[in-house]
Amino acid sequence: MKTDELTSITDKLSQELRRGSLVLAALSQLREPKYGYALIDDLAGRGLQIEQGTLYPLLRRLEEQGLLRSEWNVDGSRPRRYYVLSPEGQQVLVALTDDWLQLTQALVGLLPK
Amino acid sequence: MELIDRYVAEVGRRLPRKNRADIQDELRSNLVDTLEARAGSSPALEDQLSLLREFGPPEKVAVSYRGDRVLIGPDLFPFFRMVLGIVLSVLAIVQLVLVGVLVAFSPGYTFEPAWLLEFGGSLISAFGSVVLVFAVLQYFGVRPTVEEDEPWDPRSLPEPEPELEVHPGGLVAEMTFGLILVVVLLFLPNLQGLVSAGGATFVINPVLQDNLPLVITSLRLGIALDIFLLWRGRWTTTTRVAKIAVSVFQMAVLAFLVAAHSRWLAAYDSQGLFSVFETIPATAPMPADVAQALVVWAFRLGFFVALIVLIVETVQLLISLVRQWFFSEPSRGSASGRESTSNP
Repeated sequence: MKTDELTSITDKLSQELRRGSLVLAALSQLREPKYGYALIDDLAGRGLQIEQGTLYPLLRRLEEQGLLRSEWNVDGSRPRRYYVLSPEGQQVLVALTDDWLQLTQALVGLLPK
Repeated sequence: MELIDRYVAEVGRRLPRKNRADIQDELRSNLVDTLEARAGSSPALEDQLSLLREFGPPEKVAVSYRGDRVLIGPDLFPFFRMVLGIVLSVLAIVQLVLVGVLVAFSPGYTFEPAWLLEFGGSLISAFGSVVLVFAVLQYFGVRPTVEEDEPWDPRSLPEPEPELEVHPGGLVAEMTFGLILVVVLLFLPNLQGLVSAGGATFVINPVLQDNLPLVITSLRLGIALDIFLLWRGRWTTTTRVAKIAVSVFQMAVLAFLVAAHSRWLAAYDSQGLFSVFETIPATAPMPADVAQALVVWAFRLGFFVALIVLIVETVQLLISLVRQWFFSEPSRGSASGRESTSNP
């Protein structure tokens, strides 16, 4: 296999791996209302770099699914849309957190040190 | 900020009308927030350019907001395929039978090669119509209901069918039948007609006699194909294509024979076929010419039935071949290939 091909496969798999965890990362930071850029900034501050073009559509999808609520806030210098967990979103966050902890624990046991 | 406005407008153009303005407002707000955090309240052009490059082309951003659009989604696709298969095969068979009837029973009809174009065109337009119907269903969110009440039972799995194997039984029978016909046609001329009841007049089928080499070639081809199939032992693309090629040749021969019989009958009795039989005296022995007309008539019917059977078989075989090519899975249609072809 050529190096380019291998890199491209690795990139795709890595993206898939991150995509699954992205929902959990976003939900975990939305217990308090936040607007898009602030969320990106928070996540980046904790070492999770996310493309803006990926996160913003994801927030809208989570809202459509009923896990988030949003509203425009016009108090600041310009209007911003704030997202926050809905009660359903809070339940999902708890369940996904459990899953995630089990999964990482199992994987840590599996992966070579 | 003019660049940002242009960018937001381009993204919006590609979004559904319903959420467009809302998404545009949010996107603008996010872009401006990011820009301000990076470059303060008066960002340079270069800052805007690098931010927009990071976000990516408007097409890509629009896709991530509206999701992938599909004409026919995976939920509907199996149904689409099923309906398409039924529609196309019914349409093909009906048209082939119709043209077969025309060739067989109307001596005035001449087969135009342009018919093949019309035939192909009708199949393509049927394909288009089915796609259109399913695309509309997809658009309006119609989805097949999946019954999940009953738990799936693995014991309901069907027994595996060795459907790719050529069944030697049918082929051997077919070959034997073909061989007997060839022997009769070549060496036993006294079995090819009937003796009229009244006397010693022996009537044969003149049309068959005229076209004997053609008939024998067709039979021999069929036998050669059966030997080839027995040798290969499995239905593959090669064996299916060979079978279709031979079938097409045999169909042409059959169609030609039926047409030739029709011409003979038309020349014999211009008033219509059945008047021949109505004029047979009830008591008197059947005149030789009437007997001959009867023979020709019976042969024509036999050839015609064989032609229809062959057409249906070939269409089934074609469908299984097309399925194999386009959907790369062994299809049940190949089962039809094992049936014995009824040679004339």
